[in-house]
Amino acid sequence: MTEVTAPQAPSREVGAQTLTLAKALNAGLRRAMEDDPKVVLMGEDIGKLGGVFRVTDGLQRDFGEGRVIDTPLAESGIVGTAIGMALRGYRPVCEIQFDGFVFPAADQIITQLAKMRLRSLGSVNLPVVVRIPCGGGIGAVEHHSESPEAYFAHTAGLRVVACSNPVDAYWMIQQAIACPDPVIFFEPKRRYWDKALVDPDVPAAPMGDALVVREGTDATLLAYGPMVKTCLEAAEADDRSLEVVDLRSLSPLDTEVLYASVRKTGRCVVVHEAPVFGGLGGEIAARITEACFYHLEAPVLRVGGFATPYPASRLEDHYLPDLDRILDAVDRTCAW
Amino acid sequence: MTVDAHTARDAELVQLLTPEGERLEHPDYPLSLSDQQLRELYRDLVLVRALDVESVALTRRGELGLWPSLLGQEAAQIGSGRALGPGDMVFPTYREHAVAYCRGLPWLNILRLFRGVNHAGWDPKEFGFHLYTIVIGSQTLHATGYAMGMQHDARTIAEQGETAVGDATLAYFGDGATSQGDVNEAFVFAAVYNAPIVFFCQNNQWAISEPLERQTRIPLYRRAQGFGFPGVRVDGNDVLACLAVTRRALDRARTGEGPSLIEAFTYRMGAHTTTDDPTRYRHSDELEAWKLKDPIARVKAYLSRTGLANKAFFEEVDVQVAEAAVELRAACLALPDPPPEAMFQHVYAAPHRLLQEEQAAYETYLAGFHD
Amino acid sequence: MVKYFNLPDVGEGLTEADIVRWHVAPGDTVEVNQTIVEIETAKAIVELPSPFAGTVRELLAEEGQTVDVGAPIIGVEEAGAEAPAAPPAQSTSVEGGAQPARTPVLVGYGVKPGATQRRPRKGSPAPGRPGGGPARPSGPRQPEPPDRQGDGLAARLGRAEAATGRALAKPPVRKLAKDLGVDLTTVVGTGPRGSVTRDDVRAAMAAPAPEKPSAAPAPPPGTRETEAAPTASGGERVPVKGVRRAMAAAMVSSAFTAPHVTEFLQVDVTRTVRMVEKLRGYPEYRETRFSPMLLAARALVLALRRHPMANAAWTERDGHAEIVVPEHVNLGIAVATDRGLLVPNVKRADTLPLPELAGALADLAERARAGKATPDDLAGGTVTLTNVGVFGVDAGTPILTPGETAILAVGAIRDLPWVHKGKVKPRKVATLALSFDHRVLDGAQGSAVLRDVGGLLEDPFHLLARS
Repeated sequence: MTEVTAPQAPSREVGAQTLTLAKALNAGLRRAMEDDPKVVLMGEDIGKLGGVFRVTDGLQRDFGEGRVIDTPLAESGIVGTAIGMALRGYRPVCEIQFDGFVFPAADQIITQLAKMRLRSLGSVNLPVVVRIPCGGGIGAVEHHSESPEAYFAHTAGLRVVACSNPVDAYWMIQQAIACPDPVIFFEPKRRYWDKALVDPDVPAAPMGDALVVREGTDATLLAYGPMVKTCLEAAEADDRSLEVVDLRSLSPLDTEVLYASVRKTGRCVVVHEAPVFGGLGGEIAARITEACFYHLEAPVLRVGGFATPYPASRLEDHYLPDLDRILDAVDRTCAW
Repeated sequence: MTVDAHTARDAELVQLLTPEGERLEHPDYPLSLSDQQLRELYRDLVLVRALDVESVALTRRGELGLWPSLLGQEAAQIGSGRALGPGDMVFPTYREHAVAYCRGLPWLNILRLFRGVNHAGWDPKEFGFHLYTIVIGSQTLHATGYAMGMQHDARTIAEQGETAVGDATLAYFGDGATSQGDVNEAFVFAAVYNAPIVFFCQNNQWAISEPLERQTRIPLYRRAQGFGFPGVRVDGNDVLACLAVTRRALDRARTGEGPSLIEAFTYRMGAHTTTDDPTRYRHSDELEAWKLKDPIARVKAYLSRTGLANKAFFEEVDVQVAEAAVELRAACLALPDPPPEAMFQHVYAAPHRLLQEEQAAYETYLAGFHD
Repeated sequence: MVKYFNLPDVGEGLTEADIVRWHVAPGDTVEVNQTIVEIETAKAIVELPSPFAGTVRELLAEEGQTVDVGAPIIGVEEAGAEAPAAPPAQSTSVEGGAQPARTPVLVGYGVKPGATQRRPRKGSPAPGRPGGGPARPSGPRQPEPPDRQGDGLAARLGRAEAATGRALAKPPVRKLAKDLGVDLTTVVGTGPRGSVTRDDVRAAMAAPAPEKPSAAPAPPPGTRETEAAPTASGGERVPVKGVRRAMAAAMVSSAFTAPHVTEFLQVDVTRTVRMVEKLRGYPEYRETRFSPMLLAARALVLALRRHPMANAAWTERDGHAEIVVPEHVNLGIAVATDRGLLVPNVKRADTLPLPELAGALADLAERARAGKATPDDLAGGTVTLTNVGVFGVDAGTPILTPGETAILAVGAIRDLPWVHKGKVKPRKVATLALSFDHRVLDGAQGSAVLRDVGGLLEDPFHLLARS
């Protein structure tokens, strides 16, 4: 038996390091690939280019073309073959290049990936991760700024998570890969270049947990992915004491954390980039109303995108929830 | 220039046994079977037809919700199914009952699906036979990915200095599926990665009510050329030809020569499913013409004429098959309905908050009734 | 003027680049799109074209230097422009890196920095947080009551809610009211859109007894509190027990089992008042306590004779519902006592002549207030009469005594301008409120009972005729 001598860059940093969210994902993927030889990456342009956002930068060089697979340009093909790889015992991590490109793969995700375990009565697991850079705010062309999370959260059999910062990115991608169920993993593309200190020895909370990222008493802001930072900025700019909760897991929801926060503050605003109508905010509002009815000083309000397709980039500032729109909702909930 | 998809020249059709039971040789597909093997192929064909007929009857009696009959496609399925090795993996549509039989999957498992007890429920690993796939063509991508995994396994083993056992994947689909994006994507992926896979298209001429002309302007097997791998048309009612052609294609895959497409030219003798009425869209003379090419009759003629089997053998098979049908019927009627909690099981591998909550709430609700 | 060119993101999403070689020097003349510098990103060497035409004034980076995207690298005095401007400041005209500085993310223009403070809004003359937080240069709009909001949703909801006649209250207030046994429909709200606040509920719970009339909004009979008059701070806790607890339970049970409908009727009771005065003047009735309430009681009893279903009881046993119609009227009267509300009843009130009825009612109220009402006094009622006029109010929406179908509340008698015989004249006017169980009576039947009572009080001689 010969020694495998593939050149490998060190991935376990010595101590904590300041990383961008993109680099943290890269480090998380690297660590997952080192820990488990069954982890393979699949996607368009993820090899030599390192992905259009460079999240897989250098991984093909270090792990080879067999494990970092540049695929043909076909999203259904990527997810469909990933399912086959998973059936063979692999743990594929698919990169969908942009949120708006996931729909060709929707059938494979919704009809096949989500249901196969049930259909086999548990005899097969599909530990497939589908990474989707999501959201707007980067001034991109159409189909590059969407927030399709509700479609997947609506689908039983999937888990849906969204990271909001480099620390979570580093850990949650590893947790998603280790998860025996399919995970739709949303990455906030406008936060890819945000930096934070990532300590590879201090694990983050499980990806299924919601976290209170800022404590407050007057109202609760619920957000995930790119909007967590916006909510934190809004809370910082306001004199009221605003609590900010990062949902992290969109399906299933960590409802107890949400309930506890709303029971404390009595007021709640859910914030997401996705259109308000039919969005996760509606589900969250309904659940909070049911569970926290007697604690609610005001109806749960929602701030999100409009009932329009994602607008051209020079209009996107009007579409995306920002500090002012969030605080406007806080004004309204507090005036109730 | 296009070629009529129906009337490919006979020279393109690989045939080793004529409808009259005459044995032919083909330079590319030599086939040598023992007398016993030939008799067993006959037994397989007769048995799966009988179980299929019994399954249709169970549907007519209201014991199954639906049944997609394989009538007329026995040779395509038994021939290809018997070409498989133990390490190979099959990705079926929803009509490959005879392939399932070849893989050792009890027929009753398939009845569970069509009775509505579960959505398939067998362990694909145990039988080398994946779950049925109802959405057309999706499984070809799974098969391709699985083949890519086999390829990666082999590479890993080779890197460790050992010799990999060549396994291959066999993906089934129909003529209608060739129009699906997923099938074409599967061809692309399989081709560019040179994956060890055989695409086995049973062209039974009809996608429910739509004839082949609605799917293609050229013979389907020729599509492979455009993707960069070989395609071959085989007489799908000739069990020997199907066996030989599939064996050859699987061997190619096992030895690193990459994917192939087999178009098994056959005919759906029955309805699409038990809810279909083919008299609305096709003529009976077409059916009559295909009856003359019956996949079982020609084997029986060959065995009789060559003296490989006698009357006693045929009678013994008939008795055995009738018993199997009775047994199947009894087993189907004895299938219990699943308990309500079955709905919540196996959706997720790891604990799931919402599902647990909903299950608990529903069980509490159910417990509130007297009965 | 001098224009400055900021190092652009050249499309590969890099945050910085090295200056490799300048193609121009200060004093050189440059044309638009003339190559001015080569930069090296981590990906490639790229030549940058000049966005301006004019004379190079200064180079702001040296060859070999690493420059952040967005930083100015060259100043060019545009042809025909005036004196040089100051080196690049925020306000200087710049080209290149977009403004506000965006963080590149490899695709698109890049990410704008998030705002750190609110933009000022119209209609917020006094910025600051509600409840008097510190003022800010660009504070939020003064929070407005929800019904002033632009989307109008709250307003629509509010109007719709009000139209149902149900109390407006937030969920936590509803919970508080439920816990304290306060019927929100009888509480006058002081919150936005007339909604009931926590303080309103507490005030209702701790309101003074009827014997001490108060200008405050009257709570329903069931929520009167006499043992502990509220302190100004409202900081006292009043234990709920005994009669009050039973009353609260009865009210809650009634309110949540019988679907209540309340109807109102304003009635000219001038003739009733005159008749009472006249009767009081007769020496033989000196001992008899005639009052408008007595005539109202008589009117109710007579109306029930015509409408026996209003005297009936809805019963349910083993899932089977029945309406039981009693032979006689056992007339309950709501009596406020020190220990809480009691509803003793006069048995067979329909059989008693007016003086006897007067005596029976007075006697019963007396015993109840003295705490001497017997269990028999308190059981078996078939209908209830309550006097909310004694609290100085015009009407209430009374809650049914459990097991009964109707309750009549009589409001204060007031001098009001009233059209009488075609002319507006001052008349004695009172409001009758009849609540009934909608399972037993439909709207037409309930209204008929109320009209009947009203008619008898408008023209009390009919009391005589129908006796």
